[in-house]
Amino acid sequence: MAAMASVVNILGVIFLSHAVYSAYEHSLLPSASIAPTSSAILPRSLDPNINLPIDITLETLFSAFLLCVGVVLSSPGLKPIQWNVWAGGLERSKEAREVKEVGVGGGNPYAGLEERAGFLDIRGKRKEFSDWIKQDAGSEKS
Amino acid sequence: MSTTLLLQPPTTSTPQTTLALAQQAAPFFAAQSTWLSALPYPLNLLINTESQEKWVTHENLFLACLRTGDTASASRALEALTARFGKTNERVLVLWGLYQEATASNQAELEEVMKSYDEILREDPTVFGIRKRRAALLKSVGKPTEAIGDLIKLLDASPTDAEAWAELADLYVAQGAYEQAVYCLEEVLLVTANAWNMHARLGEVLFLSASKTEAAAGERLKTLSESMRRFCRSVELCEGYLRGYYGLKITTDRLLETLEGVRKPQTASADPVTGELAPPSLEAVKKLNQLATAKLAEIVRRGSAGEKGWDGYSPAELSAARDLLDRDTQKIQR
Repeated sequence: MAAMASVVNILGVIFLSHAVYSAYEHSLLPSASIAPTSSAILPRSLDPNINLPIDITLETLFSAFLLCVGVVLSSPGLKPIQWNVWAGGLERSKEAREVKEVGVGGGNPYAGLEERAGFLDIRGKRKEFSDWIKQDAGSEKS
Repeated sequence: MSTTLLLQPPTTSTPQTTLALAQQAAPFFAAQSTWLSALPYPLNLLINTESQEKWVTHENLFLACLRTGDTASASRALEALTARFGKTNERVLVLWGLYQEATASNQAELEEVMKSYDEILREDPTVFGIRKRRAALLKSVGKPTEAIGDLIKLLDASPTDAEAWAELADLYVAQGAYEQAVYCLEEVLLVTANAWNMHARLGEVLFLSASKTEAAAGERLKTLSESMRRFCRSVELCEGYLRGYYGLKITTDRLLETLEGVRKPQTASADPVTGELAPPSLEAVKKLNQLATAKLAEIVRRGSAGEKGWDGYSPAELSAARDLLDRDTQKIQR
């Protein structure tokens, strides 16, 4: 998908530069200096007053379309904007919980209400850990 | 990988991860003291070794080493933190308290620690970190009623401290005072209304109180339906919340039994005088039960298979959910 998006983008850029260069070359022709007939549909203030061949206009429009498609295709996936979807992702996948830097990531932001670092029972935790080590050593021996 | 491990808060970790973290202490400290930081005064100003990561890592390593009993590394981290932030910094004070509590070997030394807390609080009663430590120490030495008294005083001064309300709720639950615990958890939810785990916790406490009371069937029905609504809210806030669906399934199972026992037809509307909601209808409970069963089955299936994006559930919770579902199928087969 990413490769196709970059191919589309590159094609769009090539067509766009070709169209721009053609328009420049066309402006150098002696026939380009003849004032065009004013448009029948557009009001005076919007009339660009140039005579550009239709194929250059079409190529410009086509390249802009290609670039739009390419940019949309190459953009990263959408992030959840609904609370329950975002929260579900945190519960469900380890990847979403990963701490990337200080204050970024880390899973359920309300876990602190149940872990409660301020009330950490350090003696209980130490005992739990030494029990775990002993149990581990015991299971290895047996 | 190693840096993210160092930044992980150590309170949530299992003994395995704590051990892995504590083993990183020696290489980390070795990397901290290079010849660059030992340069004489004007030159060392040119080198900036300050970063948030550095001090978060120091704190995490301190807590992990304290848990594993590696007091030498812990005191090294603590000294670095003290040298940087000063001895009167509130957070450093708390860490010193933790260090002393952990290294106290007998009752007399613990009382010394308690006296030092009192000393700090006499000078400045607004050091909330130390007030919390004092309550935690009281709980840890087996004086829960005094810890409750301490917490109530703390909450009088700072009623929006959700962590303290949650701690108080847990103390009340341990004492069997479910009504007070429910009140405390409701206070927590006033501060953090979107905390899905606290909604589930409140549902659990309500369920406990419903299973315990010898009260009339009406009272029990009311508590059970309240509990069911709390679990519903928690899964509404977090889709795929195993704990929420587990609770929802258990409460609806119990409610179905209770509702089938009740003879009189349910009044559909809420009580206008007290503002209490009527118990849910039998069909609604049945539907919720089916939904919870289906969701649990899906979580167990995809979670145990370890599908991509479904690997975050703890194995213990998964196996508990599987047991619950198995019990259900056995009942049907019988």
